[in-house]
Amino acid sequence: MKHLRSTAQRLVSRGTRRVCVLAAAAALCSGAAHADGKLAIKAGRIVTAPDAPVIEKGVIVIENGRIAAVGKDKDVKIPWDAPVIDAPHATAFPGYVEAHVSRGMDRPNESPEIVIPFLTVRDSIDPVNFFFEDCLRSGITTINVQQGNDCIVAAQGMVVRPIGLTIDDMAVKYPAGVKMSASPRRGASAATQAQSLRRVFSDLRRYLEQLVQDKKDGSDRARREALYQGRDLEGEKSKGRAMEGSAWKVQGLELIPRGEIDEKQEPLLALVEGKLPAFIWCGRPADVHLAIEVARENGFLARTTLVIDPSCWKAADVIAAAKVPVVLQGNVLHLEIDPLTGKEVETFVPKVLHDKKIPFALSSLNSTNQALWFQAALCVGHGLPRAAALAAVTTAPSKILGLDKRVGSLEVGKDGNVLLLSGDPLSVTTWVERVVIEGRDAYDRSKDVRVQHLVAGKQPANTAAMNAEELDPSKVCCDGSDEKAHAKHLEAQKRAADKGEGGKDDEKKGDDKKDEKKPDEKKGDGSHEGHDHGDGAHADGAEGARL
Amino acid sequence: MSARSSTCIAVALTLLASDAFAASQAKKSDEQRSWTITAERVYTAEGDAIEDGEIVVEGGKIRAVGKGGGGDLKVYAVTPGLVDLSIRIDQGRYSVEQASEVTPHVRAAASLDVFDEAWLRAARSGVTTAMLNVPDRNVIGGLSVVVKTAGEPSAQARVVKADAALYGAIGSAPSSGNRTAAPRPEDFFVRRPTTRMGVEWEWRKSLFDAAAARVEPARAKPGDGELQRALDGQLPLVIQAWASQDIRTAVFLVEEARREGWGNPRLIVDAAAEAWREPQLLVRSKAAVVLPPFAPLGRTGDRAFFALDTAAKLEALGVPVALSGHDAEALEDRLCYQPGYAMRGGLSFASALAAVTLTPARLVGVDQRVGSIKAGKDADLVLWNGEPFQPTSKVVGVLVDGRLIVDPRQAANAPSSSNK
Repeated sequence: MKHLRSTAQRLVSRGTRRVCVLAAAAALCSGAAHADGKLAIKAGRIVTAPDAPVIEKGVIVIENGRIAAVGKDKDVKIPWDAPVIDAPHATAFPGYVEAHVSRGMDRPNESPEIVIPFLTVRDSIDPVNFFFEDCLRSGITTINVQQGNDCIVAAQGMVVRPIGLTIDDMAVKYPAGVKMSASPRRGASAATQAQSLRRVFSDLRRYLEQLVQDKKDGSDRARREALYQGRDLEGEKSKGRAMEGSAWKVQGLELIPRGEIDEKQEPLLALVEGKLPAFIWCGRPADVHLAIEVARENGFLARTTLVIDPSCWKAADVIAAAKVPVVLQGNVLHLEIDPLTGKEVETFVPKVLHDKKIPFALSSLNSTNQALWFQAALCVGHGLPRAAALAAVTTAPSKILGLDKRVGSLEVGKDGNVLLLSGDPLSVTTWVERVVIEGRDAYDRSKDVRVQHLVAGKQPANTAAMNAEELDPSKVCCDGSDEKAHAKHLEAQKRAADKGEGGKDDEKKGDDKKDEKKPDEKKGDGSHEGHDHGDGAHADGAEGARL
Repeated sequence: MSARSSTCIAVALTLLASDAFAASQAKKSDEQRSWTITAERVYTAEGDAIEDGEIVVEGGKIRAVGKGGGGDLKVYAVTPGLVDLSIRIDQGRYSVEQASEVTPHVRAAASLDVFDEAWLRAARSGVTTAMLNVPDRNVIGGLSVVVKTAGEPSAQARVVKADAALYGAIGSAPSSGNRTAAPRPEDFFVRRPTTRMGVEWEWRKSLFDAAAARVEPARAKPGDGELQRALDGQLPLVIQAWASQDIRTAVFLVEEARREGWGNPRLIVDAAAEAWREPQLLVRSKAAVVLPPFAPLGRTGDRAFFALDTAAKLEALGVPVALSGHDAEALEDRLCYQPGYAMRGGLSFASALAAVTLTPARLVGVDQRVGSIKAGKDADLVLWNGEPFQPTSKVVGVLVDGRLIVDPRQAANAPSSSNK
């Protein structure tokens, strides 16, 4: 927290707009930080994994960011010095995992014409981007941020957590893989794209062979270039290493100190050696073949994840045969007009993937509803077993990211990423009440000003968009715009009040005022004494609506 | 889904597997309009849900509703067919009458295209009755028609109520893209109005002229009759207005008409995303609203911000609320999921159900035929594999006038292990 504050102070000087965003961010993480300490969560119900039985009245103990114990409250001893979040009405669930997204940065695509695996989204991610706040709000605690789809071989991605004011605070795993596209980039044909993608690796091969040949010829151009560029030629970097990988190899690469390999080519070599994962975008079913072939020809198929458009369900057999996992981007439903009959054909894509036993993750890069839980719920409605639907937003993406030992379920030793939900994870009336990320109290709905905006239209105070009118809709209805109407309105109100009809109306106004006071009242209590269910009438309303 | 009903469906599927049964069923379903449907929950929209209920359908009408079991179709839940008051079937350039920006006499009923796939898409998501509106490119577009989304083969037979409402728009849609004749006078976009101001002017002028034509028949022009009926409140006046400023305009137009003695229009604000900002305006003018699909991050059409509790807030103030799919293609935007979003915003299940059934049916005066499950009404039913409106549930069966449009016995609609 100390570190966060100092960062905050530094940023504050940059401008008032930032201050507002920071204020909002600070409000969200206003709870005490427990990154290096302990935290105990007592929840009415704990669901540790998609297919795990429910633990009624359970306790989760988090120490140093990792889960130290989880079980029934009578079986788990809470350390005497651990702060306790007591949430008797909440369901604790693992934080959702986003396997591939191109948000949280200003522009997700570098020029599509060049091969740029030496760039990284690390330099582009904006920690105060609203996207990360929205992630907390919808329960996403682990996010793989990758470059956009308009590319050949693009920048390297990074797995982050949606808290922290600097990229280092956010980092979970770096690098998280190289992004590529098997679909035509902007302005290219499919054939050009295929050629460009293949040429990247043939160029790499030629480059490496030339390097070996130069070394054999006694040229030290690569070495001089490395020194000129200030590259490190010590330690591991001073040693050569026989080329690894399962597809093709360049003989004699052990002669080349690794530090002498051009930084622009090094990530590609890591790919071919199977040391770096690849995320390949497939915008059409036909692209799936290219993606799989290129990955196979160059030895990184085993570390490849296909990021697919819904139409790629048609290539499900090819995907299943290649045994690659996929991230479904876009919509869960594929809609197509049959060109002969003119009939509309709907295909629920996750069902196809599930039936073909393809490991898949859902993505918040969805055109209409970005909430992962909502998409998982749709999967259940469309015939997937509940465990499989929940796995698509927890364990499946964690496996895709190689983080299955850290996130995706609530097990001893894993990261303490816990959601406290107001009900069943997949019910439409359930809200994410609280989020704990690696033992840190990351989000509390009762203190979330933006959720009040989204739900009830209440503008957060001190933001640029603030408008005095919007804070009190009841006052404004005929404010100055039509005086006659206003007078009539007052008359009508008076008449209604005389008749005794205005009672309900006035009561409502009273309620509104009460609501607005509530957040202020709550500012005082930052402690963890109890799991608070609400921001006034709305939470109560939702409670009433629950089935 | 309880074990009991899963077994029932399993039995139904097994029966279906036998060729003879399938063949006879296929033949029968062509004309079959009588069914007995049983469900663990029957939500009639007329009162409390019936547990273990049974609906008897005969000749396309509901004959009886009550307790019972052992019907031809067994599902988890049944609701009335959904009613959507905001559907537009876009026929490209042929959709918009270009003769004028005010065409109250143009009838959507006259251009009904029953072959458009959008009807079936709506039907698949549970919409059995829909009001087809003329597109919003004209200021006053014309007369909407209420139709069944499937079933009867002819356009005429689909119509529940022709000329059910007068439809127009306020906001950017009727003016966007329009421009003056200067550069290319032959262009489609050489139209007035070109601003919101112009749109409002067209509205006021039209209403004034229609009122004036009553006194001076010589002033009458085509469309005045329709406008007069709307002014008199015989035809609901449906105005599309997404943003707060446009809802105000709609309300003030209607209030002006009342104040000036032109009549007493019944206002329905369509796509009223920002109705939450000034709900008192709607209470005051006794308007009803049709809400567009909920937007998870708030931003929706015409730069409006759509708060999640809009439906709950309006309903608490007594404003009639109907939800709509507003022609959405995306799965999550379809009408069957909208009541769920409204419940997330605080609306009760019963009110959410009413907002997609009885309320819209009443607003356009078709509630004697559709909108609830009641003996004597049309057999328009939606069958669900779980609690209605939850994203974990799916529309597995749809009946329109007793015809099975979506068959719950098909394998694709079989329920999964747990989806309540």
